[in-house]
Amino acid sequence: MTVVEFINVTKSYRTHTVLKEINFTIKQGVLTGIIGRNGVGKTTLMKLIVGFIEETSGKVEVFSEKPFNNLKVSANSILVDDGMNFPYPMTVTDVLKECNRFYVNWDAKLAERLVNYFGFHPDARHSQLSKGKKSTLNAIIGIAARCPLTIFDEPTTGMDSSVRKDFYRALLKDYLAHPRTILLSSHHIEEIEDLLEDVLLVHEGIAHFHGSITELQEMFITLTGKKEKLALHTNGKTVFSTNNLGPYSEWIIQNKCTQKELEQMKLDGIAIASVSANDAYIALTDRPKGGIDDVFE
Amino acid sequence: MLEVDGTKPIYIQIADWIETEIIEGNLAADEKVYSQYQLAELFNINPATAGKGLTLLLEAEIVYQRRGLGTFVSPDGREKLLNKRKNETLRKLIIELLDEAELLGVSNHHLLSMIEAERVRKEGGTK
Repeated sequence: MTVVEFINVTKSYRTHTVLKEINFTIKQGVLTGIIGRNGVGKTTLMKLIVGFIEETSGKVEVFSEKPFNNLKVSANSILVDDGMNFPYPMTVTDVLKECNRFYVNWDAKLAERLVNYFGFHPDARHSQLSKGKKSTLNAIIGIAARCPLTIFDEPTTGMDSSVRKDFYRALLKDYLAHPRTILLSSHHIEEIEDLLEDVLLVHEGIAHFHGSITELQEMFITLTGKKEKLALHTNGKTVFSTNNLGPYSEWIIQNKCTQKELEQMKLDGIAIASVSANDAYIALTDRPKGGIDDVFE
Repeated sequence: MLEVDGTKPIYIQIADWIETEIIEGNLAADEKVYSQYQLAELFNINPATAGKGLTLLLEAEIVYQRRGLGTFVSPDGREKLLNKRKNETLRKLIIELLDEAELLGVSNHHLLSMIEAERVRKEGGTK
């Protein structure tokens, strides 16, 4: 069953168009990572899904309905981001109590155990929590709410590395016990890639890649060897990224070589390896203008 | 455990890990194999990825599925794996060994005696 569907969706803010006729569908129960460079419209996309903002043109459907101004969508979804604000006087205990009233599937016991585990003082005010603590509490709310459509926009901002690890583990365990549709965005793909089933890569306003994480990882291969040999064997192929390591170079190309080509490369002393999801992502989104060094020339 | 920076995709590492469990005898013939959810929990990975690892083993007929009951080790699963490792992994290591010996000009006779010496040392060490 399809939970989210975008058909030719465009979203502009005044004269600035962020999403340009983007198309994709998210199936029920899939944990999808939303990735993309800063400012490509990941947050805009998530806000459109939960109906915080309205599309400029095209069609957005969530649970088969238009999400903007829609009670069914609001009742069945949650967007966790750093803009989750509660009235100033509310304490951690107050926030949990209100969530219990608001979300039908709320697991109060789990919320309480998580809040204890992460060392919150029950009387601390949400508004006065540190950046990392606030993110942690918001993430706990996102997990305990058990919404059929759960969305986390950069949930780990400000969390220290051990809390981040614990949060992802908690999210996976709760997802295994209570499967639901989850969207998760992060700048650190290497942190979330093992957790994901699918990846939606937003680039230049469209869904540049949408498929399984293994598909993304297997799209490219890394070749390491002497530059002249690499040039010889990749003649006619697109090289996505190059990196020099002393006398050797590391080139990323599409994983479309025949077995024979690969064997020839090996005989010429070229090492072949798979790429990480992060390297594949960089290869897919690298700007043709060149790297940061070119700015200073 | 899983190598985070490894060059092998996670689902292949999962399949490798179960294979080792079968070879070492931790999973016997007709014994139930971990479900994709147990593997997901164990290795902190997405259950779909864990499922892909199990599919690899199913395709190689090292495990079989019983509807509604789960995945089990094939009666000849271990034998198949032993043959596969001998014909693939061990053979590859031997080719590398021969290449290195040739590069260093080590004779066949010398190489065999080196292997024998290592074997003796290893056996002595484990006593």
